[in-house]
Amino acid sequence: MTAETMTVEIAQASAAGLKAIGAGIAVGLTGLGAGIGEMSIGAAAVGAVAENKDIFGIALLFTVLPETIVIFGLVVALLLMFQ
Amino acid sequence: MAHYRGGPAPYIYVSTRLRVRKAKLLPPEEYQRLLNMSLPEIIRLIGETEYQKEVDELGTSFEGIDLIEEALSWNLAKEYQRVIDLTPGALKEFTMAYLRRWDIYNVLTILRGKMQGLKEGKIKEVLIPAGSLDRTILDRILKEENCENVADSLKSWKMYPIIAAEISEGCSIGSFSKLENELYKRLYADLLQVANKGLKGGDQFLKFVQLEIDVKNIKTLFRMRGDGSEEDARKFFIPGATFTPEELQQMNLMANRNEVIDTLLLKIKGKSVQVALEELRTEKSEQEVDAELTRTQLERMEQLSKINPFSIHPILVFLEKKKHEVFNLRAIARGKESRLSSDTIERYLVI
Repeated sequence: MTAETMTVEIAQASAAGLKAIGAGIAVGLTGLGAGIGEMSIGAAAVGAVAENKDIFGIALLFTVLPETIVIFGLVVALLLMFQ
Repeated sequence: MAHYRGGPAPYIYVSTRLRVRKAKLLPPEEYQRLLNMSLPEIIRLIGETEYQKEVDELGTSFEGIDLIEEALSWNLAKEYQRVIDLTPGALKEFTMAYLRRWDIYNVLTILRGKMQGLKEGKIKEVLIPAGSLDRTILDRILKEENCENVADSLKSWKMYPIIAAEISEGCSIGSFSKLENELYKRLYADLLQVANKGLKGGDQFLKFVQLEIDVKNIKTLFRMRGDGSEEDARKFFIPGATFTPEELQQMNLMANRNEVIDTLLLKIKGKSVQVALEELRTEKSEQEVDAELTRTQLERMEQLSKINPFSIHPILVFLEKKKHEVFNLRAIARGKESRLSSDTIERYLVI
């Protein structure tokens, strides 16, 4: 194996690896962000539902709103992995 | 007490629960309806609100005004105990410190009731066991024959040294105003100490305590000026907030009302309090001044609870508003029973 082909293989492997890392970061960081956001919303939602059970549906909807950012992260990850 | 070391979630949870409870309190327009009702109608309406459980439970043993008095007191004490159960860590300590004022209220009510020879049951109706002296202790104190024995039965209470020092004079002249003054001074000194203890959120609690001391001092100042009393007012003022007792005494001696308000405005912070002070430039009755300042205090507390949404402030706003709701309902019921006009009763309400 020549030094030239070795470099191409390494470069291809590195590109695939970096893509995987990028996809991981996209999903991981958005998941963390959503978790931090949901902490406050969830605590408030549980408090509000404890006092008034009728608002359970709306409270749940508010709690999962930050999940949308994870979907964006996931889309970015999929694009990275399968483009 | 164990100190809570977590994230903000429990603070958010408690603040939201109490915000919801605050939203469930009677709206101002409901008081207008109540003012136009008779006593049985008021009992029925109260029985359909948050007080339903207490009205149902006590309905068999009491009736009329006694039922309302007892149901309101029970509900207030129950709500306060529930708030203590809900609050975590430092917030619990602040809430319990705030609620200690009910111990003073209860002890003074018992002492005054005993001096006037009221029956045990009648005194019990108006007690609010929300502080450190619970229902069992209060029942035991109520059984005491005279005012010296009442004082002796309070030996385990934190404020007993003050009672011990002042009770004999109070019992002999039949007035406990000096004792009341001393107890409240000690209460506010304790509150300031709790706020300055370095607990998380202590600075926000301090803001509330100082606001309350300021409002109380300003109320005392206007009351003393209204009475035209020449007495040294320093002993009536509470130290620890914006004004020292000496400054307040100087203001008490000023001849002109506008001069007093200008001096107060120089140091007082908070837009709502400043606006209220401006309003006081026109001559008003003592009771109107009192109501105006109480409303202002509530307004300022509401502002603080918005500035610090997850702190002790939303809890304190609920506790204060709940207290005023109970006092308003009691005033309406008592007023109706005494056949006072709606306008007269309305002047006593804090809406």
